[in-house]
Amino acid sequence: MAEFAAWVESTAISKALFGMVWLWPLCESLHFIGLCMLIGGAGLLDLRLMGMFRGLPIRHVKALMPWGIAGFIINAITGALFLTMQPHLYLTSGVWWSKVAFIVIAGANALFFETRLALPALALDPNADTPPGMKLVGALSLFSWFAVLYCGRMLPYLGTGN
Amino acid sequence: MAFFHSLQNSAFTDWFLGSDSIWTYPTVLTLHTVGMAILVGASFVINLRILQVAGAIPLQRLQPLYRFVWIGFAVNLSSGLVLFVTEAADRVVDPVFYVKICSIVVALSFGMVVKRNAIDRSDSQPAASARSRFLAAASLALWAVAIVSGRLMAYLKN
Repeated sequence: MAEFAAWVESTAISKALFGMVWLWPLCESLHFIGLCMLIGGAGLLDLRLMGMFRGLPIRHVKALMPWGIAGFIINAITGALFLTMQPHLYLTSGVWWSKVAFIVIAGANALFFETRLALPALALDPNADTPPGMKLVGALSLFSWFAVLYCGRMLPYLGTGN
Repeated sequence: MAFFHSLQNSAFTDWFLGSDSIWTYPTVLTLHTVGMAILVGASFVINLRILQVAGAIPLQRLQPLYRFVWIGFAVNLSSGLVLFVTEAADRVVDPVFYVKICSIVVALSFGMVVKRNAIDRSDSQPAASARSRFLAAASLALWAVAIVSGRLMAYLKN
């Protein structure tokens, strides 16, 4: 990984991007905005799946998903730019790989919901409580996204790569 | 000014910024990010719905989301005060800091007006008025300004 990071950093594209001094703070700002969109959009669905916000039909909450996905895409793009500019900070960091693992867990969980639970969820009465399976999926999603946030924000203090 | 210098140069600041523990500065900074996600995340959902671009949640049903607005705000006001104390002298002369604080105050106020006019009403309409939509759009933009200025403050540290 260290060699790969060194190679990425030696490429012209990495040097050119890192040379634009405004790009890093711009990407950080967008990364924060994307994170709010993701947690706002996905979080409300997660809380509804956990049984909160009863009275709110799940189809209405699910309509927020495109905004959550848009936030994720913004963060994937800005994240890829950070990685291209300073790969050594991330690729040899256990904290960063934990972040990636939580993204994979959250993604797999969302896919499981979409393919297995979305139809029964949409059919629920707006005032009904949710079954345990949906509560678990909602809680796992919320926990994973906040774990992603935690790993990202704490990365400089818990350990960047070398 | 002497007061802000005394805060920034206090024993608390030395301990808070100088400690090797992750439970001081890093944890308060992370709490500030968690609070942001809750506060701005909930505000995004409310404002996007008011703007008619995020599904058809009945407007009155947005009411419980304001609980999260206030929880996030409480987390960020308290963590923000701690962070401010440790850089007090630098921040009181930092225009970006004032941009951030003003945009938060105005974004929250607009959010409250939208709540009163479009969400709390018992005869709640399926769509908010043009005025509420304008305030929602302004509020969204101001949250973005608050985030960008907050991020920029880290680069303008002395």
